[in-house]
Amino acid sequence: MRVLVIDPDPARAALVAEGLAGIQPLEVRRATVFDEREVAAFAPDVVVIAADSPDRDTLESLRESSHSNPRPVVMFVDRSEPGLAEQAVRAGVAAYIVDGLAPSRVRPILDVAMSRFALTQQLRGDLAKAKADLESRKIVERAKGLLMKERGLDEDGAYRLLRKLAMDKGRPIGAVAADLLAFASILKGGDS
Amino acid sequence: MSGLADLTLGFIPLTDCAPLVVAKALGLFAEEGLAVTLSREASWATIRDKVAVGALDGAHMLAPMALAATAGVDPVPMLAPLALNLNGAAITVSTALAAALRALDPDGMAATPITAAPLARLIQARQAQGAPPLTFAVVFPYSMHNYALRYWLAQAGVDPDRDVRLVVTPPPRMVEHLRSGGVDGFCVGAPWNAAAVGEGLGEILISASEFWPGGPDKVFGLTAAWARRHPDELRAVLGALIRASAWADEPGNHAELVALLARPDHVGAAPELLARALKREIVFHRDAAGLPRREHALWFLSQMARWGQIAADVDFPAVADQVYRPDLFRAAALSLGPVLDPAMVFADAPAPAAALFDGAPFDPDAARAYAAGFAIGRARG
Repeated sequence: MRVLVIDPDPARAALVAEGLAGIQPLEVRRATVFDEREVAAFAPDVVVIAADSPDRDTLESLRESSHSNPRPVVMFVDRSEPGLAEQAVRAGVAAYIVDGLAPSRVRPILDVAMSRFALTQQLRGDLAKAKADLESRKIVERAKGLLMKERGLDEDGAYRLLRKLAMDKGRPIGAVAADLLAFASILKGGDS
Repeated sequence: MSGLADLTLGFIPLTDCAPLVVAKALGLFAEEGLAVTLSREASWATIRDKVAVGALDGAHMLAPMALAATAGVDPVPMLAPLALNLNGAAITVSTALAAALRALDPDGMAATPITAAPLARLIQARQAQGAPPLTFAVVFPYSMHNYALRYWLAQAGVDPDRDVRLVVTPPPRMVEHLRSGGVDGFCVGAPWNAAAVGEGLGEILISASEFWPGGPDKVFGLTAAWARRHPDELRAVLGALIRASAWADEPGNHAELVALLARPDHVGAAPELLARALKREIVFHRDAAGLPRREHALWFLSQMARWGQIAADVDFPAVADQVYRPDLFRAAALSLGPVLDPAMVFADAPAPAAALFDGAPFDPDAARAYAAGFAIGRARG
């Protein structure tokens, strides 16, 4: 069975392809965009495509124009398997299977794709959080510096004051620090 | 929370997503008691699937998508309770093709509107020489763009399935494909025709307002199941969108509208290109543009049958009445009171007969005979 993975995110496509490797005798190819000639040459049985790829509409049209396309009709993952289409859409993947291929053979492929998509989603979320944490730490450092200068506090005292403000307001310390810096810049005549 | 309903609505980066973007940016959804998140989607297929499974509560849709989802093989009944706009699309060809057409048939290219007659002559000449077929792109199989291009070609004797190659290309990639020579022409919505012209790559042969003055284009679509479960939220969403459409139509608001649409998280196109179609083409609200008109649905169904997308024995009036819901539009419009011109609310009285550019009459009550009556078509059964 030949599987084509189309994903604008090459790292995610690689992850999906890697995950498929162990399933059964099958050939996997990945691409970032849909290329008609390439697809015709590879003749996949299943196309797994990321929902954020604009090429989905082109794939949809193939099931309309079977006469200009010698390959059999392709269709969205079979709705007769309960919940599969819903899960796939929510995970951000779609599968087009060549007519005549049993949906049950597509199931393990989609399961891998969905779990790999979830994994990249989580990794990306973790990265964003790490960046935000780092940014927040920088802001807290600057707010501490401001308090040390304006209030004559030592570093520890400045941090305790910030932490007290955060606890009083029930807000994250990074947010309180950002407010403090914003107000300080207004008092100094800055334009934010 | 203050009882606000949380909704997620999808859109595609096109000028006619304006009512959704405006309703959000101006706080009109919030005034109706809704907390709306807009989700920019990359393809119409994803819009349809996300709405079908409930990952989106409603979305900017190609009008025939809602009909196809309801009448197709794997039905998920959908509703179109509001038309988002009239007109807006156009058929554009590469400057090279336009020059060839003008050299071959200067009179035909000077006509208003331009028919596909010059193109038909060129295609005949190419076929005699054994040249490969010209390639035209549309945005989706179930779209006004596909039906308009096919109608326009066939009207001049060009068979869209045999004499040219038709492909599907996402709207933001149309201009790039025209530049690379991958396509010779296309039918797409604003602002992408203006973008092709602006870059000196293409020439507009016929705009939607010439093809069918006041012709249909996009709708706000959602599943029938969602509408049943959330009647109050639906009325609120429609109310906000109707107010946004009225705002978007006002020439005095166009500068602000263009700035909103130009944002990368909305359409992300150059402001001057977005401004062009607003001035000349797209209607959001006036002339009861928001009313989902039964005759529009019946015309779409006739073209779906004509090109073999649906069986000819589909009950056109039943599908049209199931999907197109002017009653929901009217209820929402009435709930807005005197904010809007009250005339629009009652404008679903018999509409002027559809007048396409070729003057061929379309009787909505005889849509099936109309579908089967074309010289070029694939109507089955």
